[in-house]
Amino acid sequence: MKKAIGCALAVGAAGGALFSLVGLVTPVIGIFLGCGFGMIFCLIAGRRANTPGAGLLWGLAFALLFWLLGPATIGSLFVSRLPGPTTMLDTVRARFPDLVGYLLFFGAPLGICLGTVNRFPTLQRVRADKFDLSRAAVVGGLSGIVGGWAFGQWMAKVNHFPLIAGLVHLSSPNAGVALHFVFAFIIGASFGLFFQRDVRGYGSSLAWGLGYGIFWWFLGPMTVMPLWQGRRLDWSYQHAQELYGSLVGHIVYGLIVGLVYAAVDRLWTTLFIESDPINREPEAPGSRSLQSIGWGALAGLTGGLVFLPIIAAATGLTNIAGLVGSTSPAIGLLVHLLSSGLIGISYGLLFERESPDFAAGIAWGLLYGLVWWFAGRLTLFPILQGLSFTWTHEAAADALPLLVGHLIYGAVTALVFLAFERRHRDWLLLDPRFAARLARLRRPAGTPAPALWFFASGLGVLLQIILT
Amino acid sequence: MPDLPGSIAVNRITSQGNQNQRTGRSLVNPIVRRALLGLFCGSASSVFLCSAVGNVGFGLCLGALLGIGQVFAFFDLESGSAIDRAMTCAAFSLPFWATINLILLPVSAGQVPQWTAADMRALFPALIGWLLFFVSLGTLAQATRRVSVHFFGPESPRPAPSAPAKMTQIVILGGGFAGVTTAAHLEKLFRGDPTVCFTLISETNSWLFTPMLVEVAASGLDPTHIATPLRTSLKRTRVLRSRVTGIDLKLRQVQLNEEGPQTGLHYDHLVLALGSVSNYSGHSVIAENAFEFKTLSDAMHIRNHVIDVFERAEAETDPERRRALLTFVVAGGGFSGVELAGGLNDFARGMTADYLSLSPADLRIILVHSRERILPELSESLADYARQRMQERGVTFKLNERVADAEPGSVTLGSGEKIATETFIWTAGVTASPILQQLPVPHNDRGAVLVDPTLALPDYSQVWALGDGASVPDTNSGKICPPTAQAATRQAVCLAKNIRANLLGHRLREFRFRSLGSLCVVGHQTACAEILGLKFSGLFAWLLWRGVYLSKLPGLERKMRVFTDWTLELFFTRDSVQTIDFEGPGLRQSEPELTLR
Repeated sequence: MKKAIGCALAVGAAGGALFSLVGLVTPVIGIFLGCGFGMIFCLIAGRRANTPGAGLLWGLAFALLFWLLGPATIGSLFVSRLPGPTTMLDTVRARFPDLVGYLLFFGAPLGICLGTVNRFPTLQRVRADKFDLSRAAVVGGLSGIVGGWAFGQWMAKVNHFPLIAGLVHLSSPNAGVALHFVFAFIIGASFGLFFQRDVRGYGSSLAWGLGYGIFWWFLGPMTVMPLWQGRRLDWSYQHAQELYGSLVGHIVYGLIVGLVYAAVDRLWTTLFIESDPINREPEAPGSRSLQSIGWGALAGLTGGLVFLPIIAAATGLTNIAGLVGSTSPAIGLLVHLLSSGLIGISYGLLFERESPDFAAGIAWGLLYGLVWWFAGRLTLFPILQGLSFTWTHEAAADALPLLVGHLIYGAVTALVFLAFERRHRDWLLLDPRFAARLARLRRPAGTPAPALWFFASGLGVLLQIILT
Repeated sequence: MPDLPGSIAVNRITSQGNQNQRTGRSLVNPIVRRALLGLFCGSASSVFLCSAVGNVGFGLCLGALLGIGQVFAFFDLESGSAIDRAMTCAAFSLPFWATINLILLPVSAGQVPQWTAADMRALFPALIGWLLFFVSLGTLAQATRRVSVHFFGPESPRPAPSAPAKMTQIVILGGGFAGVTTAAHLEKLFRGDPTVCFTLISETNSWLFTPMLVEVAASGLDPTHIATPLRTSLKRTRVLRSRVTGIDLKLRQVQLNEEGPQTGLHYDHLVLALGSVSNYSGHSVIAENAFEFKTLSDAMHIRNHVIDVFERAEAETDPERRRALLTFVVAGGGFSGVELAGGLNDFARGMTADYLSLSPADLRIILVHSRERILPELSESLADYARQRMQERGVTFKLNERVADAEPGSVTLGSGEKIATETFIWTAGVTASPILQQLPVPHNDRGAVLVDPTLALPDYSQVWALGDGASVPDTNSGKICPPTAQAATRQAVCLAKNIRANLLGHRLREFRFRSLGSLCVVGHQTACAEILGLKFSGLFAWLLWRGVYLSKLPGLERKMRVFTDWTLELFFTRDSVQTIDFEGPGLRQSEPELTLR
């Protein structure tokens, strides 16, 4: 513990010093703030940071909470005795650079360092987890390339590649493309290295990817790129607004990295580990998936019915009917319910056995709803209408009412799915072998899932309100 | 043993009181305790919520409700720390803010939902209020839980689901349609109830899908593709592969012949689903010389015998002997006999292409039936259609005839006609399992036990019977239900409900049967079907047959395998590989070695 506190104080102080270099606070206040943050983080969440990946997520979530409860809330009290809505939002926007600083100088380094320090006492456990370095790097790198390809579509559209090529003093778009894929590979490989122990299924991996994508938006285009180009750091919300397209790109990149990583990782596990008769489970993967499809469809339809009044009031059903070239509200209703059912099926397949309780179910559902707002509303919907997707803050502002609906849809779908899953699971639990397997598969306490839920869903929504 | 959430919580809570008494732990009802803790935490944290929703009373009530809801949303309160709980709860601030502040409050005030970007920005302070409320709630809930554990003891001791003092033993005899469907429905009805346990006794470890048995005999399907392992079909039923040698209704015990000495199995409820065996009407000579067609091993036997006689016929130089080898006699013109004759006809005629010295003209497939028309279960027009199509395809019918005698190499009919054959298959009639016939209860002329409309034996309210081995009155028609898989499956559903009703002291249901119809394949892509009074024949009926039975086949994996077999059969010839050693028409004596285990 002493070692961890010492480390936290040192890293916090260093982070505070860097924070002051950005010009947001004086060096003394920066170091004091960093030490305070490090100490509080170490005492409250330090034990949770038992690997670098877990530490990173706990650090980021803690930094966000620290910022929300600190500068965003208390800060506004200093601005005005009676903080009205405008004052508070103005404060939050004015304090946006603090958020970037907290995340990059306090949360991330503290989490990674504490995770590395705490990892050694638990090396035995780490070995038991069978962490596979080469698999993490190769699978992560490959998924990074696939995600990079998707992100590259937007970058080509906004002619961003020459800018990337400028990092190595070139101007050719091809050089930019090559460099872009190098970065994509590295970030993807780091995803595998950080999170191989924590991701358990497709769904959680997708959510981890979402959080990691948001983090890289803060680190990459907001921070590293201007520094590499020799420009002054600009963490203002106006500059962040300009980079809104890049934010969505990073999120989509993260989602694809998470999904592909889980798919390849699961394929590896299925082909070489689960196919071994020694590891056989009472229910074959095929039977499980079939059940999840059925439950997911019903859950998705229920979520779709709850979502229906919101989508009808926000955009109208004729807008949905436009996806199949119709203007009839009845067709729109059918398309909405069909897509709700299909997304519900995908939830069932991606998140089976992820939720031990309703709280976890709601949290995963929220994230999945958020994922479909980015991937569906902002990206696929325009493409299916024959238009080009626009990842601008103006387009996001137009689609903001539906974000509420997506969040509610996700939560309801997850709750109904979990109800089905539990109903099936409960009577199987009478078999002690099944109960033991389920206990092994269940996400144990102490994983960074709560941190991820708060960080990814919190920032995923907050950024839309602040930047649009 | 992990904590058991969910529907068996009631059992857990009931047993927890005893556990607490033994361990000296808190006797406070865990649900009440959780609710009180949630109420306190929610009310205390609602100070932040009041400002978020702009109304103190509403904020307090909402906070209290969310506090109670929060503690029940986390099933396992003992795992995780305050920071876990606070972070998870913090994530909930977004949907609640969105639902209540952006939608419900404006709508209840007669305004439109405030979900545009500008509206959201205006309501941003409320989001912070929600965030503070949930962070406080999560932290406080975990802290108060620890305080309550200190003063009142652990809330959930997480015991292993202790065995109740008295377990109700439900024993099901028979692993056919009736037995397995009963067990499956009992599992569904009792779900996580640990006070009931089920045992199924079957002579094989698999559930045979008999409607497709003909296709195994005719080499259309792989034998294992139509048999599902009982242990994968049933999740919480103990399966014992054993032969029942006796039932003592007074002592409530079933005698089993396992590999050692006989063992007795006690029951509280007994389900008799032992099915039927072939009925030779006392002709032991016929029984000795005929192939049976009831089990998977029978079907494999017939298939390999057919291939064997082809091999022998190819080498045979005596025309009479060869004719006998290529003559196949099927006794019985019911569903089994007709489908088998049609299937064998296709298989044998197809095989002649591979045997250079044999021609289809050498083959004789003879169906002997004691009545004027075949398929008495179907209407006359369909039966005539089936006979005509089968005759066109080369099947010979001997109607109004009976097999009077059989000896190795020949069969003698009632008219005195002697047919030289090496293949004689018996499908003419069944009788109840011998073990059922020995029971000291009333039987019908087939040996089936008589049951009342609730499927219970009249003098034994905890002994039930169904399927081919039971004479079940249909309350709708007043007649006896036919001994079909369809009737057995429906009886099983009713029986499972009645066992549960019996245990709970509820009123029992009477069995009502309305046949959906019958389907019968008579040859290549040709079938007859009578569904809800509508008659179908030919290719459409054949597609219907395949569709219906494929959907009824248990398990996706089996469905896929059978579908693959059927698809391959369209492009390739049927397999004529002999898969077992066959030593002449020894018939029944080699059966035990062939039984799938």
